[in-house]
Amino acid sequence: MAIEQVTPVETPARSKRRKVPWSFIIAGVVIAGAIVYLVLANTGSSAEYYMTVNQLRACSSCAARTVRVSGIVVANSIVHDNATQTIHFQISDTNSTKMTVVYSGVVPDIFKAGVQVVVEGTLGSNGVFQAQNLLTKCPSKFQAATPPPSGQ
Amino acid sequence: MHYSDLGMIAQLLALVFAVYAIIASVFGARLRRPALQASGRLSVLAVAAFLILTSASLFASFVTHDFGLQYVAQHSNLAMPWYYTVAAFYGGQEGSLLYWTMMLAIFSAIAVLSYRRAPEGLMPYVVAVLMTIDGFFLIVLNFVSTPFVRVRVAPMDGAGLNPILQDPGMLVHPPMLLMGYMSFSVPFAFAVAAMITGKLDNGWLRAIRRWTLAAWSIQTTGLLLGAWWSYHVLGWGGYWGWDPVENAALLPWITATAFLHSTMVQERRGTLKVWNLALIIATFALSIFGTFEVRSGIINSVHSFAYSSIGPYFLGFLGVIVLGSIGLFFYRLPRLRPEHEWDSFVSREGGFLVNNWLLTGIAFATFWGTIFPILSATFRGQTMTVGTSFYNLTDGALFLVLIAVMGIGPLLAWRRASWQSIWRNFRWPALLAALCAIILPIFGEANIVANIGFAVCAFAAATIFYELWRGMRVRHGHGESYPTALLMLVRRHRQRYGGYLVHLGLVILAVGVIGSHFFQAEQDLSLRAGQSATVAGYTITYRGISSSVQDSVQTIKTHFTISQNGQHLNDIYPGERIFPGFEDQPASIVSITTYGATDLYVFLAGYEGTNSATLKVFINPLVSFVWLGGILMLLGGILCWWPVARPVARLSETGAATNRRIPAATRAPGNVKVAAKAPRAEVTS
Repeated sequence: MAIEQVTPVETPARSKRRKVPWSFIIAGVVIAGAIVYLVLANTGSSAEYYMTVNQLRACSSCAARTVRVSGIVVANSIVHDNATQTIHFQISDTNSTKMTVVYSGVVPDIFKAGVQVVVEGTLGSNGVFQAQNLLTKCPSKFQAATPPPSGQ
Repeated sequence: MHYSDLGMIAQLLALVFAVYAIIASVFGARLRRPALQASGRLSVLAVAAFLILTSASLFASFVTHDFGLQYVAQHSNLAMPWYYTVAAFYGGQEGSLLYWTMMLAIFSAIAVLSYRRAPEGLMPYVVAVLMTIDGFFLIVLNFVSTPFVRVRVAPMDGAGLNPILQDPGMLVHPPMLLMGYMSFSVPFAFAVAAMITGKLDNGWLRAIRRWTLAAWSIQTTGLLLGAWWSYHVLGWGGYWGWDPVENAALLPWITATAFLHSTMVQERRGTLKVWNLALIIATFALSIFGTFEVRSGIINSVHSFAYSSIGPYFLGFLGVIVLGSIGLFFYRLPRLRPEHEWDSFVSREGGFLVNNWLLTGIAFATFWGTIFPILSATFRGQTMTVGTSFYNLTDGALFLVLIAVMGIGPLLAWRRASWQSIWRNFRWPALLAALCAIILPIFGEANIVANIGFAVCAFAAATIFYELWRGMRVRHGHGESYPTALLMLVRRHRQRYGGYLVHLGLVILAVGVIGSHFFQAEQDLSLRAGQSATVAGYTITYRGISSSVQDSVQTIKTHFTISQNGQHLNDIYPGERIFPGFEDQPASIVSITTYGATDLYVFLAGYEGTNSATLKVFINPLVSFVWLGGILMLLGGILCWWPVARPVARLSETGAATNRRIPAATRAPGNVKVAAKAPRAEVTS
């Protein structure tokens, strides 16, 4: 039934298909080109390395460029400097190289030793990471933070 | 015997009936046995009933605080008020899955019951596809991630729901968002059924027209509620952060929006058939991709949902959907010939085409940015991410062009628009946009990009109002008062004017986005008791701090006053709440006060006893426009799909009567009858 509906159209349609007006083709190419250009150009300008502390240490080309680094805040490493609204702390991967981070600005609610953070900024030549942004990773975790006190 | 045992049995039976529904429907269709098909349809109702029973038993476990059930113990406790205890149902992965599965079954049942007039032979396959999807979820629910795991000795109390989820947003946002994505399963099922049966004329599209509009409205609601929740709870001063999880929710909405537009071209001109199928497949695949992305932890997001083992299952299912659909699609490609040729690019269909290219471009860019960490890790050996600037620049530019096209498109005639009509339709809106571009800088608005954005928005809004006014004027010429004329216009052509309302909403939303993006100001304040500071003309004074405990939740409230030019405006109490069991995760109480169209957004970042408090203050201009625009979009969507009420049928001669029979936009924008009443010359072309 469906074949019967479509078949009469098929032959003329095939010849007409070649006659998609040029205006459509040109407009399509222009828009598609603009989209691809926008995507590629903006990717180039806004892409940042996302790495762990160890990877950053091992990276020779990363100095002075903006990178995002994830790590765990090291216990007892947080130092607040209230006068300058700055905090110093260290982050590390699991039990490995530590990296000192300096950050000024408002610290998220749940920032404390032991939480996973992502810092965005640059690694200075003195090995201290200057963070422009500090993100903590737990706030919207959709699961209980503490395991339930089960009786097993 | 616990309620959970009942739930376990019920969800297993649901799976059995789902499998039976698939077999009965497919064989019923192949062997042309209506009775078998009917039993397939009936077992869809059984699946829905058993899943409602499953949910009811989980619900009962929550209400009776059955902490022997691990899921209940992990997501609720005795101290939580009843409404969050109920909402904890979907607070974790297993419950969300159950909710998805149940809603899909209910929607399938609605589809089965309401599509008695669906094109001949399509329904058995629709049932089979829907039950295959639901069957997949049921397998995961029964055997991989079930909410009905018991522990031998029940704890005295549960762990409770994460503080950030104990918010009114939790009651509405997750169910809406999930329901929105799930509801696109039905159009997808119709598309696949059309491909399997080869009935690829417009019948299947017409059958789901209203459904897609409703699904779109639900999706829109879900996204808006998410933005609103994020804005008033998280304390970062924004409502949209281009986080991978947010992108996952936005992607299907964009392709669904494109689909709603391009189906109008197919219904009217018989072209874009291939494209429409591709879009509906993409919409459904993207909603599954979202679930996979969120649950597998493959992409690093600030929202870390619980990572789990179900990722690979979803990836496999995604592969089956995509490969299966593409296979069917190429198999049927020879039948997907356009019925008409394309005429002029400057035409309604040309407008729809540009709309679709842009929306697809936005979807592509967003998808690209979301999976860029995977792409870069695969091809360059180094994980890289793109920041919000990528999305703001790329998607922002494309949205701006989209809004301009949105102003132009609906006023172009089908096939070929005359330059005369273009001049007549667009001279006033263009003039207004130019005026807007000139006037705004005089009033001190200095940002060029924002100015272009506002001018484009002014143009698009003006075309809508100009069109509305001309329609009213014609009816007024026939003796109706202007308000009656407006009412009658909307009643007669609800989908047309519903569409305009959505467009107007998007324009207003865009104004809000432009305003809050380009003119947001942010300042950190550290104040001692009695001390004041001034931000953007608003003087904020620290008055004190108080703490109270209610239902074992500790609430800390600071007290500030806001004044302007010595005039007291408001008392605000930003603070935080500390929930038992979550002492290290206080939930912020953000204070948002709106002056005119500007939000003063105050977040308590820290405090040291009564001595001092640190605030993060945002001046967010025009954020109210985001909510207003969003609500208009939603109302427009509802206006489009809401069943025609009886009084309307009585009032009109033919319009509303046909409305009931022919779903959809066959009559919507640009119908000859509609157009004949509007003063437009291009109607004759």
